[in-house]
Amino acid sequence: MRRAALGAAILAAFFLSGCGEAPQVTVYKQGKYQGKPDTQPWSNAPLAYGDATWNKGDRASWETQINKRAMGQNEDNRIYRQ
Amino acid sequence: MLLTRKSSGQAVPQARLARGLAGVLAKTMDRRAFLKRSGVTLGAGAAAAQLPFAMIGEAQAQAAGAGKVEVKRTVCTHCSVGCAIDAVVENGVWVRQEPVFDSPLNLGAHCAKGASVREHGITHDSHRLKSPMKLEGGKWVKVTWDQAYEDISKRLLAIKKESGPDALMIIGSSKHNNEQSYLLCKWARLWGTNNTDHQARICHSTTVAGIANTWGYGAMTNSYNDEQNSKCLLFFGSNAAEAHPVSMLHTLHAKENGCKVIVADPRYTRTAAKADKYVRVRSGSDVAFLFGLLHHVFKNGWEDKKYIHDRVYGMDKVKEEVMAKYTPAAVQEVTGVPEQEMYETAKMLAENRPGFIIWAMGQTQHTNGNAIVRASAVLMLALGNVGRPGGGANIYRGHDNVQGATDIGPNPDSLPGYYGIAPGSFAHWAKVWNIDLDWLKKQYASEAMMTKPGITVSRWYDAIVEKNENIDQDPNLRAVLFWGHAPNSQSRGLDMLEAMKKLELMVVIDPYPSATAAMMAMAKKEGCYLLPAATQFECAGSVTASNRSIQWREKVIEPLFEARNDHMIMYQLAQKLGFADQLVGKRDGKQNIELVKGKGGMDEPSMESTLREVNRGVWTIGYTGQSPERLKAHMRNMHVFDVKTLRAKGGKDKETGYDLTGDYFGLPWPCFGTAEIKHPGSPNLYDTSRHVMDGGGNFRANFGVEKDGVNLLAEDGSHSKGAEITTGYPEFDHVLVKKLGWWDDLTEAEKAAAEGKNWKTDLSGGIQRVVMKHGCHPFGNAKARAVVWNFPDGIPLHREPLYSPKPELVAKWPTHADQKVRWRLPVLFKSVQDKAVADKAHEKFPLILTSGRLVEFEGGGEETRSNPWLAELMQDNFVELNPKTAADRGIRHGEFVWVSTPSGAKIKVKALVTERVGADHVFIPFHFSGWWQGQDMLGYYPEGAAPIVRGEAVNTATTYGYDIVTMMQETKTTLCQVAKA
Amino acid sequence: MARMKFLCDAERCIECNGCVTACKNENEVPWGVNRRRVVTINDGVVGAEKSISVACMHCSDAPCMAVCPVDCFYKTADGVVLHDKDLCIGCGYCFYACPFGAPQFPQAGAFGLRGKMDKCTFCAGGPEADRTDAEFKKYGRNRLAEGKLPACAEMCSTKALLGGDGDVIADIYRERVLRRGKGSEVWGWGTAYGPGKAGAQPPAGGKS
Repeated sequence: MRRAALGAAILAAFFLSGCGEAPQVTVYKQGKYQGKPDTQPWSNAPLAYGDATWNKGDRASWETQINKRAMGQNEDNRIYRQ
Repeated sequence: MLLTRKSSGQAVPQARLARGLAGVLAKTMDRRAFLKRSGVTLGAGAAAAQLPFAMIGEAQAQAAGAGKVEVKRTVCTHCSVGCAIDAVVENGVWVRQEPVFDSPLNLGAHCAKGASVREHGITHDSHRLKSPMKLEGGKWVKVTWDQAYEDISKRLLAIKKESGPDALMIIGSSKHNNEQSYLLCKWARLWGTNNTDHQARICHSTTVAGIANTWGYGAMTNSYNDEQNSKCLLFFGSNAAEAHPVSMLHTLHAKENGCKVIVADPRYTRTAAKADKYVRVRSGSDVAFLFGLLHHVFKNGWEDKKYIHDRVYGMDKVKEEVMAKYTPAAVQEVTGVPEQEMYETAKMLAENRPGFIIWAMGQTQHTNGNAIVRASAVLMLALGNVGRPGGGANIYRGHDNVQGATDIGPNPDSLPGYYGIAPGSFAHWAKVWNIDLDWLKKQYASEAMMTKPGITVSRWYDAIVEKNENIDQDPNLRAVLFWGHAPNSQSRGLDMLEAMKKLELMVVIDPYPSATAAMMAMAKKEGCYLLPAATQFECAGSVTASNRSIQWREKVIEPLFEARNDHMIMYQLAQKLGFADQLVGKRDGKQNIELVKGKGGMDEPSMESTLREVNRGVWTIGYTGQSPERLKAHMRNMHVFDVKTLRAKGGKDKETGYDLTGDYFGLPWPCFGTAEIKHPGSPNLYDTSRHVMDGGGNFRANFGVEKDGVNLLAEDGSHSKGAEITTGYPEFDHVLVKKLGWWDDLTEAEKAAAEGKNWKTDLSGGIQRVVMKHGCHPFGNAKARAVVWNFPDGIPLHREPLYSPKPELVAKWPTHADQKVRWRLPVLFKSVQDKAVADKAHEKFPLILTSGRLVEFEGGGEETRSNPWLAELMQDNFVELNPKTAADRGIRHGEFVWVSTPSGAKIKVKALVTERVGADHVFIPFHFSGWWQGQDMLGYYPEGAAPIVRGEAVNTATTYGYDIVTMMQETKTTLCQVAKA
Repeated sequence: MARMKFLCDAERCIECNGCVTACKNENEVPWGVNRRRVVTINDGVVGAEKSISVACMHCSDAPCMAVCPVDCFYKTADGVVLHDKDLCIGCGYCFYACPFGAPQFPQAGAFGLRGKMDKCTFCAGGPEADRTDAEFKKYGRNRLAEGKLPACAEMCSTKALLGGDGDVIADIYRERVLRRGKGSEVWGWGTAYGPGKAGAQPPAGGKS
C-alpha cells in the first residue's frame, strides 16, 4: 500500500511538472542522467568499420545518420528509390 | 529518491544476477508460450550450462576493442532464400552480426534462425562435436584424425575388396556448398559407385523429376522477388511463414499492392493467417484438389487457349480426364472442399493473372508426389502463367544449397548438371575432370553398374536388410558415409534402427552428428566413427538459392575445435583410398583444381578453381558463366541490383572494374556460355518476352520433335524475343549449326572443339555462343508436356495414400501395383494399401498424421536445437490436436500423449490443443530427435555433443510409402491414434 | 530532436521470432530472460490470428520510472528509458507498473533472492562508458552509439517491426498504410478516435 501510494505520488509529481515536452526528458548535465553516469550516443566517434558516419559530439549529424539507417527498415526505399 | 538506497551505487555485485538464470516469463498462451512454460526443468538444465549475462561472450568481449576488425560477407545456412549476413570478426573471433540492407534477396531481413547464426562462432558452450570419435564397447572414445582415417580407410578398402564398391553408400548434404557438393559427386564416382544421394531426394526429388519432365528444368521458375510482379499467389503445400519467413517480405509486399494470396492446406498455418483466402483440404488429396480447380477453369473457359496452342502439348487429353473424373462431387468426396469454394478459388486464380503456384514438401512427400507436382504445373500452364514475369511455379527449396547440390552434387542417377549416368556423360566428365575414362570404368563393379541409378537416401536402410536376391546389385550395403544428413528426416525410424544393427561401418561427418551417433550407439557397440566437420561459416564457396541465384560466401572464421572443412576431409580420405590425384584432376602434368593451405597448413582443394572446373563442364543448365570473379563482384555490389527484377541498372565493381550493368543478381542459372560472353543469368525461366541474352527463353526441347504424329516443338510465332528462328526448333548440335549456316561464326579453336559435339558437350562453349548470338536458345524451343508419357501416370492421377482414412476411396482411387525393382530395390504399393484396409487401420488409427516445419529449427534440427537462442523458443515436441479430438480422448492442453501409428511405433509428445488442425488431422513437427519411444537418449550421445533440446522424432513413427518415380518418402499422410500418456 | 520508438505492424508480423533471437544474439541475453517476445492472439483460429512483437515501449512518461523506489531509471535525451543495475534492487515494482510486461527478472535462486531487473535498452546500453566491455556485460550492446538502430527492428523478416526516430518510422508506416489501405485499425484507432475509414491516417508515432 505504502509503496503504491509512493508510486502514485511520484506519478503525480511527474504529471504536475509535465505541462510541456521538456520536463519529460531529462536534461543532460555534467555527464549524468538524473544522477546516472552515461554518455550520449553522439558523443562517440563512429566505428572503424561499417558505413555509419557522423561528427563526434554533433547531435544533428548523428540523427542524420540514425535516420539514414532507419531507411534499411523501409523496403519501399530499397525497392522504389534505390 | 524517497526510499533509502543501497549504501552505494556499486553495492549489488553482478554475481547475484548470475545465480538465478532460468526464468521464463511467458504471459500468453500461444503455441510457444505454453511449450516454453512447460519446459522449465529442461530450461534450467540448459541454463546451468550457460554462462551468466555478465560473462557470456567473455572471450569475444576481451578481444573486442583491441585488434583487427574484419567484416566478412556470408549467407545464412538455414534455408534457400539466401539471406546475406555481414559477420564482424575481431582477431579471428566472430563477435557481431549485421544485416545487409543492400541484399536484393532479403534486404537485411532475417528470421529466428538467420538472426542467430553467429552462435556458430561461440565456443564456450558449443554443442558441436569437437574431435573425431569412435564407438568402442558401446562408448564414445576420442581418437585422432590420423587414427580415424587409418581405421576408416582400412575397413572401407577391405569391404570394397570383398564386396565391391557398391557395398558403400555416400549420403551427402544439401548444406555443402556447390564446390563441395560437386567434389563429393565426383568422389563417389571415383570410388566407383552411384550409391550416393542427399536431402533433395526427400525434399524435392518429385518436383525435380516431375517438373523437368514437364517443361525442361526441375527448378523454381522465377524468384521470391518476382512475386512482387504477381497478381495471385496460391500456396499449396508450403507454409512459407515458418519455412521461408524472409520470402514473406516479398509475398506481403505483393499482397499489399493488390496481389491475392490463397493458402490451401490441411492446417490453418501462419501463412494462411496472412492470406486473403484459406481453403482446408484433406492431406493426400492434392491431385484431386488441383484438378478440381482445373475442372472449373475448363468449364468456364478460363484457360489461355492461344498459350496452350502455342506452348503446351497434351492439354486436350488432360481436359478430357479432368472433366470426366474430377467432377465437383468427386472432388468434394476426396478433398472435402465444397463446389462453391473450389469455384471461387479457381475464379480468383483466373481473374488474377499472372499468378504463381507455390509449393514445398506439402506436395512432394507423397506416394504420388510426382503426379501432384505435375498437376500443379498443368494448372499453371492452363492459365498461361508459366514463362513470364509474375507467374509460374515458385518451388520453394529447403536447405540453403539444396538447389546447388541437386544441380551439381551427389545424385544417384546423374553426374553434375543432370548429365544422366550414360556412357557419353562419363566420357564428357572424364574429359572435364582430366582423368582416364578407362581407369574410371575399372573403379566401378562393372559397366552395367556404372549406368544403373544408385540407392536413394530414403531407403538406404532397406538396402542393408533386404534379402540379397531382391537387390539389383551384388552386395547389400555394408558401409555408409553419413556426410551432413540427419537420420530423423527419413521415415520409418524403427526399421532404420534395426538396419543399423546390421551395418558394419557408419562414418558420420558433420558438425552436429549426434542424432545419428546416438542411434548408432543404441544399435551397436562398435563400427561407428564421428568426424567433426566445419560449418559453412568456416569455409568459402558458392551457394545456390532457390531462385537459382548463386552467391559467394567468404570464410568467416577458421574451423573451430578439431573440425576440418568438408573438402579437406574429401581430399584426405581420397588420399587414403587412392584417388586423390583424380579428385583434383592431376594428370599428364596438368592439374585442374589447385591445392591451397587450409587449417593447420594442410592441403585442401581451392574452391575457386573447383568452381572453374564446374564452369568448364556444366553446360546443360548454364553453370558456365558464373566465374568466381563475377560472383564476388555481385557480392560486393549488392546495392546496384533492383529488388523487383534482380537486374543491375548499372555500376562497376571498384575492385576489378567489372561492369555489372544488365547482370541479374547471382547470375541465376542458366547463365550460358563462358563468363567472357557475359550472359546475364535467367531470372525467370522460359520467358519469351526477353531476348536470350537478356535472360529470356522458352520451353526446352528434350523429348523429341513429335509424339504419335503430334508436334512437340513450339508453334510458329512462339519464340523468345529476337530469335532468328521464329518457329519451334530442336536442341542444337554441330549438324544443326552447320545446316543453318552458322558454323563459320565459330572461331577456328571453337570449331575444333565443337566438331561432333552438341550444346551440352562442346567444351569451348562456341555452339552456345553462336546460337545465342542468333537469338536462339541452345536447348531448343518446344512445348511443355501436360502429358508426361514416360511416367507411370502420364496424366497426373489421384491415388489414395497407402494408409488412407477412407477405404471406399481406396477402392475408387487405388495406388500403384508393387514394383520389383526401382532404384535397385523392390518397392511395395498395393500390398501395403490392401493390408491396411484388411487390417482396418482406419478404425484403429482414425486420425490423419501429417508433419511439417517450425520456424525455429531446420531439418533434422540437431544444429538449431543446439543453439540456445533458438532452443529456448521451442523446448518440447508436440502434437497439434483439434479441441474435439482432445476432448473425445480426455486430453488436456499441455499433457503428454502417446501417438501410435500402424508401423508399431509409439511416440510421446505434448498435446497442443488448437483449431489450427481440423478434427480429422493431427500435426507433429519433424525437427526433433533424441527421444526414442518415450526414452531420452541422452546417455547415447557423445559427451557434450547432445543438443540442448531433445524430443521425439515424428519419423520414428511414420509408415512405409514411396513415390514410384523417385523414391520420395511419404511423410505427409499416414494414420495414427492419440491417447493420453 | 529524435525520440526513439518501436512500432510493430500486425499485418506483417508472422511470428518468426527473428526479433527475439536478434536481441539474444546482439545483447547475449541469457536463457530465460526475454527482452523481446512475440505474442500471438487467437492462435490457429481462422481469420482471427494476429501476432505482434513486444518489448519495452520506451514510454515518454514511463510508469516504471515513476514507481521505482530507488529511482534507478532515467530517460536519455533521445527518448530511451534505461536503468542503472547498480541501483536496481530487483523489487519488481516496475513489473507491476509496466502495461507491457517488459521488465524481466531472472528466476528466483535457491534462497529466494531476486535478480536485477533486465529489459530492452533500445540497444542503447546503459550507465557505463559507451561501447565498453563493462557496458556490454551489464546492459548489452550500444548500437545507438554506433549510429545503428536496435538489432530486432533492423533484422525483422518482414519489416513488421520498426524502430528508430518516431517521426521517421511513422513516415515509413504511413507510406505503407496508405498503399495498402489498412493496418492502423489494429491498434485501436477506431476505439480511440471513433469510427472512420480504416487506414485514413496512421497512428501518431512521432509526437507522443
